[in-house]
Amino acid sequence: MSEADYGVLWLSVQVATGCVVVSLPPALVLGAILARYEFPGKAILDGVCHLPLVLPPVVTGYVLLVLFGRRGVIGEALNDLGVHIAFDWKGAVLASAVVGFPLMLRAIRQGVASVDPRLEGAARTLGAKPLYAFCVVTLRLAAPAIAVGCLLSFARSLGEFGATITFVSNIPGETQTLPLAVFSYLNQPDGEASAWRLVLVSIGVSFVALILSDRLSRRLDTR
Amino acid sequence: MLSIAISKGYSDFSLTVEVDCAYPVTAVFGPSGSGKTTLLNVIAGLERADSGRISLNDRVLFDLSQRIHHPPEQRGIGYVFQDALLFPHLDVAQNLAFAPSLRREVSAITEDRVVDMMDLGYLLERSPKDLSGGERQRVALGRALLSSPNLLLLDEPLASLDTGLKNRIIPYLRHIRDDLGIPMVYVSHSVGEILQLTGQVIVLNRGDVVASGDFFDLAHHPDVFPLLGEFGFENVLNVTVAEHRAEQSVSVATYRDQTLKIPLAEGVPAGSDVFVGIRANDVILSNCAPEGVSIRNALRGRVADIRDVHGMRLVSIDVGKRLIAEVTAEAVQELGIREGGDVYCLIKTHSIRLAQ
Repeated sequence: MSEADYGVLWLSVQVATGCVVVSLPPALVLGAILARYEFPGKAILDGVCHLPLVLPPVVTGYVLLVLFGRRGVIGEALNDLGVHIAFDWKGAVLASAVVGFPLMLRAIRQGVASVDPRLEGAARTLGAKPLYAFCVVTLRLAAPAIAVGCLLSFARSLGEFGATITFVSNIPGETQTLPLAVFSYLNQPDGEASAWRLVLVSIGVSFVALILSDRLSRRLDTR
Repeated sequence: MLSIAISKGYSDFSLTVEVDCAYPVTAVFGPSGSGKTTLLNVIAGLERADSGRISLNDRVLFDLSQRIHHPPEQRGIGYVFQDALLFPHLDVAQNLAFAPSLRREVSAITEDRVVDMMDLGYLLERSPKDLSGGERQRVALGRALLSSPNLLLLDEPLASLDTGLKNRIIPYLRHIRDDLGIPMVYVSHSVGEILQLTGQVIVLNRGDVVASGDFFDLAHHPDVFPLLGEFGFENVLNVTVAEHRAEQSVSVATYRDQTLKIPLAEGVPAGSDVFVGIRANDVILSNCAPEGVSIRNALRGRVADIRDVHGMRLVSIDVGKRLIAEVTAEAVQELGIREGGDVYCLIKTHSIRLAQ
């Protein structure tokens, strides 16, 4: 593997990790709300959260570009604050986070829904404040599902192509993750051998992630 | 004292309760769907009443007009759920330590004492999934006690256990009542279970309190009697085992100055007390001392009152404590049973249920 390949791998892992870190807090909050509460507009919120799952990634990427691009509604405001997202690795994180969000959300939502809410009530009668009860009982019991959600998000990020290339383009060292690098190699006349190396790396990384998450999930599982 | 005056409505059901619980143990009796669990949830603060007021020992826990609604964690009320609800990811010791770990001040009820009292020592390292139903309830009781509650709510803690196990839990409840002095509200749909702990009962049906007071005074109540179920009222007597006659499969017990043959109380040492259950419709009345019948037990007593209920007569007999017999109106008439008269209560040994 060339130094450039290591760079690609390192960037991909960074982006995928960033994707999990960015997705987790909102996925926990929304997952808990969707699992536990009924409220007007729930179906709409649910639909919006799941939209990236059914939209073609290219469309998602384009919408992100419109919103977060240098002249986009949000992008411009962020620009004034000195934060640049488009055509930057942060943009790659955002693109894969949006695309992978429904996967993480679904796993967490199901995990929370499978925990008997009365256990939280029991914790309250024993003196626990609501947030503490939620964290030490419900989140702890949903931990295996949360781990699965994190893995799905991580894996989706490693594989993310369409939204990323549309939103942040294919800039080596900046936004060129594994799939984009494979794509670039395949577009070069003699790139097939190099592409193969990255394909194998890609398989290896995915496999390690799967095994680690399965282990973690088993360890956290109490039932 | 716990004072409750609340109402809570749902689309298909509403709960209206106005009672004071001043006894060490107040039982809430009623069929399923009568609102018993909702009542406990409202007392604990897990559900909020639509209106009214709840106070415990002069501390207002809930008062709609004053906008007071203390959350469960600030009520100082322990809750033992029907299915224990132990935390599955914590072992027994960690479950017990849950409440103490959240508190700064030292409580009078120590973990050692609870472990000792509930016989939990050998379970401490186990996971809740490896416990039997009875063990689970003992841990749940211990866990609730360790929150140093001013009141303990028990929601049919024995309902999911089979009879043998039930009887082994009740003595622990009596320990809590007598040694720790924590008042309890005990929800159950079993008369026999309730009478082993208390005589004071609130009868709930379809969300309304239909009667409250001494269970013996309520048994004949036209709204209570039908709720007693197919087996009717069950008397509970506290008798003293005198000797065992294993070859006859009976034990001889004394009740006040009378003797009673009960099913063999294996493992109960002579001289100790046991509770026995006797269903009201298993008690046969006779106006003279029985001769030439196979029934071995004849408790002598004086008729305290005769109540008419749904065509039957509930005869309350003072045998030292009250015993209720359910007989037909015809029998009362023909035997000349009247209030203040003497009768013999005939009870077959094998219709006596050994409660522990």
